[in-house]
Amino acid sequence: MKIPPFKEINPPTKDGFWINKKTKERFGGQYISPLLVPNLKRVEKGFFKAIKDKKFMRELNEELLSFIGVNTPVHFSPELTKLAGGEKKIGKIYLKRTDLHTNHSHKPVSAYSCCKLAKYLGFKKILTETGAFQNGRAVASACAALGLDLDIYVGANDAKKLAINKDISALHGANIIEVHDSTKSLLPAMAAALRAFQSEPDSMYVVGSVAGPHPYPLMVRTFGSVIGRITKKQFKNLVGKDPSTIFSVCGGGSNMLCISYPYLKTKNTKIYAVESAGKGLKTGKHGATIGGGGKIGILLGMQSKVLLDGENIAESFTEASGLDFSSIGTEVAFLQSVGRIKFLTATDLEAKKTFMMMARKVGLICAIEACYVIHAAIKEIRKIGKPKQNHLIHLCGAGEPNVAQMMEHMKKNK
Amino acid sequence: MSKLNNLFKEAKKNKKKIFIGFVTSGDPNYKSSKEIIKEMTKSCQIIEAGISFNTSTSDSPIIMEANDRAINSGMNMNKTFKLIREVKRETKTNTCFVIMTYLNPVKIFGLKKFINQCNFVGIDGVIIVDSNLNSPEEKILINGLSKKKIGYIKIISPTNDDEFIKLSIKNCRDSWLYITSYFGLTGSKNVNIDNVKKMVKRVRNYSKEIPVAVGFGVKTPSQVKQVSKYADGVICGSSIVNKVAEGHKKRLKGKKLATFVSSYVKKLSRGIKK
Repeated sequence: MKIPPFKEINPPTKDGFWINKKTKERFGGQYISPLLVPNLKRVEKGFFKAIKDKKFMRELNEELLSFIGVNTPVHFSPELTKLAGGEKKIGKIYLKRTDLHTNHSHKPVSAYSCCKLAKYLGFKKILTETGAFQNGRAVASACAALGLDLDIYVGANDAKKLAINKDISALHGANIIEVHDSTKSLLPAMAAALRAFQSEPDSMYVVGSVAGPHPYPLMVRTFGSVIGRITKKQFKNLVGKDPSTIFSVCGGGSNMLCISYPYLKTKNTKIYAVESAGKGLKTGKHGATIGGGGKIGILLGMQSKVLLDGENIAESFTEASGLDFSSIGTEVAFLQSVGRIKFLTATDLEAKKTFMMMARKVGLICAIEACYVIHAAIKEIRKIGKPKQNHLIHLCGAGEPNVAQMMEHMKKNK
Repeated sequence: MSKLNNLFKEAKKNKKKIFIGFVTSGDPNYKSSKEIIKEMTKSCQIIEAGISFNTSTSDSPIIMEANDRAINSGMNMNKTFKLIREVKRETKTNTCFVIMTYLNPVKIFGLKKFINQCNFVGIDGVIIVDSNLNSPEEKILINGLSKKKIGYIKIISPTNDDEFIKLSIKNCRDSWLYITSYFGLTGSKNVNIDNVKKMVKRVRNYSKEIPVAVGFGVKTPSQVKQVSKYADGVICGSSIVNKVAEGHKKRLKGKKLATFVSSYVKKLSRGIKK
């Protein structure tokens, strides 16, 4: 299948803001030190040039098809359909399997595209950050393929948790820098990568989510929307119409926005995002920016919804490193603000139980991050309870990196 | 005319240069920080007090650690205002006070409340590192601060283009233009004099009057002296904060820590008079 072309259906302003006209809330922008302005200008200009360059786009699409393998299947899941109550009660549940990409997650699509752009613009080195090492690994593989050097910034606590993907990134030749600032998680890792970007003008920063200063949120969703464009076509071919619902997990929101983007103006498709409620929203130990009542704040170069602790950014908490983030992407925050996306949550424990269920009943080892959405989706689909509906769940990563953690869980719960 | 404007104007008339010292407010805690700032008023004509933000994207590890110490000791915006007010009352100093911070703490505190508090406490200038030239917040800050005759300081670096420099001069109010001597993080390298010369020249293409002060990597009295040949003011930051860290590690507190830090600041400031 060919990759359907990109259409801009939710453009930000020239300065990179998405504005809720009713509430006047603004999401996005470029809140950065003047020292970063020239770097961002170079990336922004280069990005707009590249997406209009037919040769660049043709090559990129060919490589996404062959090297990343973006043509991953959408398929009916009889097991999940049965588990949710059966076809007569809830309709059908389908899975989009981006866990089957090269490097086993949705991340490689935007990671490879951004690295390809860096090469196109003449940069020799990439700077990135990672939480669950899915982005780290995806960028490491892309840099190896494209002949670029790479520094990966990772929170020291995350580096301990996800040894396999860290090792794979190192095998690809990435230089891994552990960040010991504040919470030692994704947020300080991203701040460290941005600081490095300020010091290394010949390196390009590649962000792992639809977050950060303009043009990053726009760039990541534009490149990443290849996933949604293919999905929309596949789903129509398979089912004959668009899905009634799409469910994705949301840390920063990249996998959610990349699959949902082509459906933003599709009125009959409801879009759901699932955040991590960690130990439970009431305990305060969670990673749910929206579910936990996040307010508008400014961090990492963007204005978005943020979990705050006084005038500072609050620590998020979840066992899923990929969801351990105290904010969400700017366009995601906008879409939530205007009511286009509905937010749900699932706890760490619910995700672990779902991991075991998927392993035992469905036969898939899913990334722990994907288990939050599977849990919340089944619950919501039961609540909707309408037959003849077609539900789509984004299975956004494979669970090999979580095996050690889950073996421990299994032993404890025997 | 604002106090900062006056200070630079008088200095120019008398062919003198201005020494500006940066320190993180509340580092390592409220009490010791107050003593340090009190002592610094003796050798700094302007003190930049940093208000910590735990997700800052432009600070060197030295400042990041100071931010952590200050935040962990319970420091915030309100307490910084209180601290500066007390310093001013207790020292009756003539030193100007400038607040340097990020937009998140200011926005959460409230832009209008922030401007009013600055006015109430007698803050002479404000630097907000990540406030974009075109952002809606920038307009509110410029207008609000100007009305109260509080200076608004913009930062430019050697990699910024002429358009950016022009816009920065335009947004600067009643104060000075802050030039970073190199491309990178505060205090991570040594001052680059060639850049300083070039940058001052570039600024002078667009404004003959705006005072310029240079920071980033100025760590010794002789560097202060060198920079002061080309700029109207010299800013020392990371090296002073490093001295606070050094004293803190030696378990110095209160006045002892203040003396330890300020004797270093005094040496630096003499670079201007040499």
